[in-house]
Amino acid sequence: MAGEPDPDVAREAIEYCYEQGWTDGLPVVPVSQSMLDEFLAQTGRSPDEVLWRMDHLGRECTVQTAAINAAMAGCLPEYFPVVLAAWDAVMRDRAAKGGGWQSTSGPAPLIVINGPIRAELGINCTGGAFAGGFRPNATIPRALGLMLRNAFGVAPHVFDQTTQGIPGRWAICFGENEEESPWEPLATEMGLEPGANAVSCTLTRTYEFVDNRHTQNPEHLLWDFADTISRTGVMIFRAQSAGIVFCPEHAQMLASAGYAKADVKDWLIEHCGRVEADLRNAGKDAVSEGGLGGRSASEDQRVPGDVFTPFLPGRQSVPIVVAGARNAAISMVFRVFGEWSNSSVPIESVRSSVAATKGD
Amino acid sequence: MICSDAFRATGDAMAEIQGAPGYRYLTTPHPVAGLTPDQVRERAEAVAAEVMSLLTAGAP
Repeated sequence: MAGEPDPDVAREAIEYCYEQGWTDGLPVVPVSQSMLDEFLAQTGRSPDEVLWRMDHLGRECTVQTAAINAAMAGCLPEYFPVVLAAWDAVMRDRAAKGGGWQSTSGPAPLIVINGPIRAELGINCTGGAFAGGFRPNATIPRALGLMLRNAFGVAPHVFDQTTQGIPGRWAICFGENEEESPWEPLATEMGLEPGANAVSCTLTRTYEFVDNRHTQNPEHLLWDFADTISRTGVMIFRAQSAGIVFCPEHAQMLASAGYAKADVKDWLIEHCGRVEADLRNAGKDAVSEGGLGGRSASEDQRVPGDVFTPFLPGRQSVPIVVAGARNAAISMVFRVFGEWSNSSVPIESVRSSVAATKGD
Repeated sequence: MICSDAFRATGDAMAEIQGAPGYRYLTTPHPVAGLTPDQVRERAEAVAAEVMSLLTAGAP
């Protein structure tokens, strides 16, 4: 059939990209100038605008470099404003500015999208929110990973010092399930207009789900979350930040019992934490408010074993989102790597502004 | 500069990117984070002679 793409030509171009060291291990899409132009046409920002500069590495990423990497990641051109907003959102995170991308934790960006753009781009918000199978969900976070690698040179074993890293590090992106959430969308909670297209993003370390289909009692459910959040294993500071991606069933159960999002946060702030004896058993009683601390305190420095340390300092440390299917009561607890900016970034809408000037 | 030996690859690459390939620095065995004050003192003693020779050596 005339016009069918030639797989051998495609293979040659893909292998060329491998040879240049441009891939994250999976094949990338080879990018032509005309393809790049399509991406750049999706934003009003100049191709030469510097998105971020890492002075210590002497490297920077421009809008054009971001577009090339988004295209290589498999994004469609219309995803590009989301990629830009995701980058801007994660770079509001203090840890991302402060070398977090090169941390031994190998933190993963968690990208949450709000607004009607979810349906327009086919961004999955429901079943399998963490599980892949949808082009924007898979390629938007991958674009960030490729930007880090190709623009800043942060690649494994050298400038990327990740010890083990987080499974699916460059694949955590979903739309909030606003339609089945009993609460206001995350971006609205963060102060944007209701219905705004927006991205919220923070660096995260570790994900663990809470499967609780066993109780009708909202406090039982909250205790189950508190137990998962209060683990000692992930603890490197006493003050921590842990969020929940609630499945619709859990969120609706809590909301039906009268819990607003803020009430859930307050309950968790009060109950998440450990007594000193537990921290001592894990060798973590010397962990301080803001630092790694050292070894266990000596006998004469020890505080009583029943003294309780709360882990979550305030509502800003407990991001809450709703995503996933309505088919089972399974939610996800995640750890924020540093401190989430508690803000959402509006997604630029070039197409609609073009349409408006044309009177469409 | 002294770092633990697990960070040698990154240290060498940083030196190169900063325009100082082959920059000489010292290492101590990894890990360091969990050492007691006495163990840190032992590490310091073990590396002291190298610190002295690095500081007093001429440029390579």
